[in-house]
Amino acid sequence: MTSTAAARSTSLLCVFAICRSRTAAGLPAELPTGLPAGTGHARGGPLTVLPIGDSLAALVQEVPAEEFTEQALQQRLADQSTLEACARAHHAAVSAAAALGPVVPLPLATLFTDRHRARSVLAESLERFHRVLNRTEGRVEWAVKVHLRRDSRPAAEPSPPEPAPAGPGAGRAYLSRVRGREQDRLSRQDAARAAAARVHDAVRGVAAGSVQRRPHGPRVTGNDRLQVMNAAYLVEEARGPELAALVRIMREEVALSGVDVDLSGPWVPYSFAEDVEDAEDAELAGERT
Amino acid sequence: MTVGDVTVGAGVVPWSGPDAGAPLGVPLVDLIDRVLATGVVITGDLVIAIAEVPLIRLSLQALLSSVNERVPAPWADGGPL
Repeated sequence: MTSTAAARSTSLLCVFAICRSRTAAGLPAELPTGLPAGTGHARGGPLTVLPIGDSLAALVQEVPAEEFTEQALQQRLADQSTLEACARAHHAAVSAAAALGPVVPLPLATLFTDRHRARSVLAESLERFHRVLNRTEGRVEWAVKVHLRRDSRPAAEPSPPEPAPAGPGAGRAYLSRVRGREQDRLSRQDAARAAAARVHDAVRGVAAGSVQRRPHGPRVTGNDRLQVMNAAYLVEEARGPELAALVRIMREEVALSGVDVDLSGPWVPYSFAEDVEDAEDAELAGERT
Repeated sequence: MTVGDVTVGAGVVPWSGPDAGAPLGVPLVDLIDRVLATGVVITGDLVIAIAEVPLIRLSLQALLSSVNERVPAPWADGGPL
């Protein structure tokens, strides 16, 4: 369906983000002015602003249809360097608008056949966009990740396993060692999760919202670290230094138990683009602590 | 192909894109996690649901772990998995 529709025209419209019209007014009608050359997807047209309703606008770009059909995307994004280039192009466009005012980022490759379709579909979500813009205005996202180092051992290190005694009882001794290691492993993980909970409680104190994202797997973290928390916090722009200082303190506090705390940001509030009723008090979707 | 291979380990991938407004040293894995898995999903018959593209879904599964309260960590002292 999508592929057939796309095949009929030579270009598709890629939507990066929604912002207020007055934010868009800060963007020239045809961007590359003021934007580094090449912002947007490679081989696409210039970034432009598409008015949505009375007071909102979408940051859009015409992209070659043949590169953005479902089939073409499957192939292109399966290539690591293309995936990275697309992700960075998307982020650069979103960030360009975010530098001028609050934005609602859309996921990578949100595509329409043309401007009319984009306007009519996006116009159905005007209220939702306004709520998200109001919530994220003046705020940025910070990512806090907590890892347990795999080589970590509790301070009271049990003596290393003795060589297995031969003869009767060897089997039982082996099982007991295995149980001991398992206990040790579980208690370290429990300690790391408790540390993560402490970090979360502390950081939440300076945040207007939080989202627990699914932790990254060992293919990302490496086998030497277990990710126990992958959280995002919505924080007033001015409170960034306060947050950084807090994370430094927490990092020192939990370091002895083999736990690392990483902070990255400020991000465009990607993780807070979902609509949330009663934003300030709501426990966000996915929130689990 | 795995997204996980993009950044292996804790290293931060320096930002090399054209965007001066981006955070310094954007961890690529965080970026891909965000641009693929967040944002307001607009449903419409002309929108390609990228997360539903099978290869991308596979990539996301590689990127994200099943570690949570219910599923124990995949590694023991014997090594991962």
